[in-house]
Amino acid sequence: MRHRLWLAAAASLTLLAGCSSSGGTATDAGAPVSGGSLTWAVETEPITLNPHQYAQAKARLLVWNSFEALLTHDDKGGYVPWLATGYEVSPDGKTYTVKLRTDVTFSDGTRFDAAAVKANVDQLLADGYAPAVAAVQLKSLKSVEVVDPATIRYHLKQPDVLLLDFLSSPQGAIVSPKSLKEAKNLKAGGPELAGTGPFILDRYTPGQELHYVKNPAYNWAPANAGHAGPAYLDDVTYRFLKESSVRVGALTSGQVQVIEGVPATDQAQITANPSLTLSKGLNSGSAYSYYFNTSHAPFDDIRVRQAFRDALDVDTVLQGVYRGTATRAWSVISPASPLYDASLEKTYGNDAAKANAALDAAGWSTRDAEGYRTKGGKRLTARLIQSAPFVRDRRDVLAQAVQAAVKQSAGIDLKVSVVDQGTATKAIADNEYEIFDNSRADTDAGAALNLLLRSDGAINRTGVKDAELDALLAKGEAGADRTKTYQEIQQKVIAKDALIQPLYAPADQIAASKAVGGLGFEPTAGVPGSAYNVWLSK
Amino acid sequence: MLRRLATGLVVLWAAATAAYLALLAAPGDTVDAIIGDGADTPLIRAQIIQEWHLDRPAVVQYLDFLWRALHGDLGRSYLLQRPVAEVIGGQLAPTLTLASSAGVLGVVLALVLAITTRRPWARRVSSTLELVLVSTPPFLIGIILLSVFSFRLGLFPVSGGQGFASLVLPAVTLALPVAGVLTQVLRDGVDRALDEPFVVTARARGLGERAVLVRHALRHALLPAVTLIGWLFGILLGGAVIIETVFGRPGLGQVTLNAVTSEDMPVVLAVVVFSAFVYVVLNTLADLAYLIIDPRLRRS
Repeated sequence: MRHRLWLAAAASLTLLAGCSSSGGTATDAGAPVSGGSLTWAVETEPITLNPHQYAQAKARLLVWNSFEALLTHDDKGGYVPWLATGYEVSPDGKTYTVKLRTDVTFSDGTRFDAAAVKANVDQLLADGYAPAVAAVQLKSLKSVEVVDPATIRYHLKQPDVLLLDFLSSPQGAIVSPKSLKEAKNLKAGGPELAGTGPFILDRYTPGQELHYVKNPAYNWAPANAGHAGPAYLDDVTYRFLKESSVRVGALTSGQVQVIEGVPATDQAQITANPSLTLSKGLNSGSAYSYYFNTSHAPFDDIRVRQAFRDALDVDTVLQGVYRGTATRAWSVISPASPLYDASLEKTYGNDAAKANAALDAAGWSTRDAEGYRTKGGKRLTARLIQSAPFVRDRRDVLAQAVQAAVKQSAGIDLKVSVVDQGTATKAIADNEYEIFDNSRADTDAGAALNLLLRSDGAINRTGVKDAELDALLAKGEAGADRTKTYQEIQQKVIAKDALIQPLYAPADQIAASKAVGGLGFEPTAGVPGSAYNVWLSK
Repeated sequence: MLRRLATGLVVLWAAATAAYLALLAAPGDTVDAIIGDGADTPLIRAQIIQEWHLDRPAVVQYLDFLWRALHGDLGRSYLLQRPVAEVIGGQLAPTLTLASSAGVLGVVLALVLAITTRRPWARRVSSTLELVLVSTPPFLIGIILLSVFSFRLGLFPVSGGQGFASLVLPAVTLALPVAGVLTQVLRDGVDRALDEPFVVTARARGLGERAVLVRHALRHALLPAVTLIGWLFGILLGGAVIIETVFGRPGLGQVTLNAVTSEDMPVVLAVVVFSAFVYVVLNTLADLAYLIIDPRLRRS
């Protein structure tokens, strides 16, 4: 398995991808024009501006303004060179040789070369700097070797195609080695960290806004970025407005030109306004799902897990909570991911009679005074603990809708509690929960599944320890015929073992004035893209 | 004066210690708070413990915190990875500007209303309005003001910490409930003062009704109102959390909210100590104000 990907081939392939992903509102805003200032209201203020420390999918649209990675995703599960010109994998899958561009400089004047890339990897592996990156994304890395200024080689302990995902992730973005050495608050990031991106962060006002100016020297956009050369906008301001109604109001009154994050309840206000546009992108990674804890009763019994899914009419619940704006998920992997197995659709769920028969057969055949099923005097209870700081998309309301549905159709007692992070962590540690809810925005769904499903996975909350599943995940990571391997994995955990109740595919929304062109979603990740290809019609 | 200073220091220490104990007693430990909903492996945990020296006993960490705080070092934020002094220092000015303009606006509004709405019908209208304002969540007031004056009429910007225009709506939002409560207290005080015999004396001396009201009755009514200064501070700081979120303003309120929800101990402690400090200062000022308002207190 020796695959090569050099610039020419990649460029022709991905120009096609570029066309489809950068359509946006181009027709309304006319042809691209340079110049102008844009104000964009975003929901989330990033915890850190250092890409290595990146942990919020909602902050991803900011990262790529001032920082860039060696590769980037196309929309078909492949990779496009960015700061690299191409890469080559050794036949045993354990050595990755990456050729680098030689015409790139950081905004602080430092030259970009293989030594700079190595300095970044060394920093990521430094004690206490980025423990999660070192333990998860770089777990297979043995060493990094500077072959010559334009070539860098990654040596792995075992084959791991997720290295490519790392090389195109925010954590894999390249920061100026000078900043790495000199920054006063390196882990917090900010204007003192120089990158190679089309914009330069020149002002950060905590609690209020980020201000980027165009990097006039920029000339190394990836082939699928929509155009080449410097960005169109002279400067762009990202303003933090946490309240969705305030964001929408700011947009309708023309105080900002673009907003991100438009919940179902506010979407009608945008679509009813002829001068505004609304676009949605499905995130990749894992779908928002309920994970059944199989380590103790009642979900140690597969019949109860299947019954829970059969008791639930997901479509009706989603319609009630999200008014038809949510995309139903059928698998643990998001339908936006190239690894998604569509054959699972409409194969299970919404069959109350089957659910009740299965629960009767499983011994939960008696009912208590409140109508809940019982077995040996114990109620059929499932506790779902949600950590308040991480509840988004009205998942607490969704849980209440699920609660009502499973009670009504099958007498299952879903106990939902929204608690602080400490209490949630304690409940997990003490194994005092039956359902765990989660979605992950990893660009490669395999990375999410490694955390969620492997016996030693860092977020394995099902308690499942299955050698067959581990072997499949290892095979998917090693890279041969990934589509088929991940299809087998999805068939196993969804159809065969019923470990998971998928609910919906997380999405992002952009609403904008029709004067704004070039807005779009990042290929594969599905989150709003950076401001590089955005223009403001005059 | 020295005794006052010593009491103040004890209050600061007690506030810091109480906050420390409360965070210690909260479920989950610091490592959990730092990990959040991210990947959680023994290796990651070990590195976090090492980075923040969390392997020391709680008592040692507490003493170390006190020792460094005494030297002006408030530590680093777990979450934001920046020195706490920098995190808080940068947010102090916007919050103080907001709180003081809202405070002043609230007090002026209350004084004006308490004096001008003496006629029965004006009184009825005003007190109904006050009641509505006091019982409406500031969040809702903010959204309504924004919809009307910013989104519809375009008079004021929705966000931005710079400039006077961006201060108007948040300050009004925060001032309205304050004015509501203070007006009720002041009016009640004025009513009671007007029943006192000294008012009869003042009128007998030929003073006009306005002079009686402002120079005598209002002065009496001020005492209970000044006592509310501690409450006022609480309202302003608590209100700032919500107002800053709604209006997208920088400030201590947002920092505090984030720090508490993510158990960012160093920031929480600093905010608590700072609040206690302001509280001590304000109460001292209130005590001094009593002396100015009430000459009887000066003699004793």
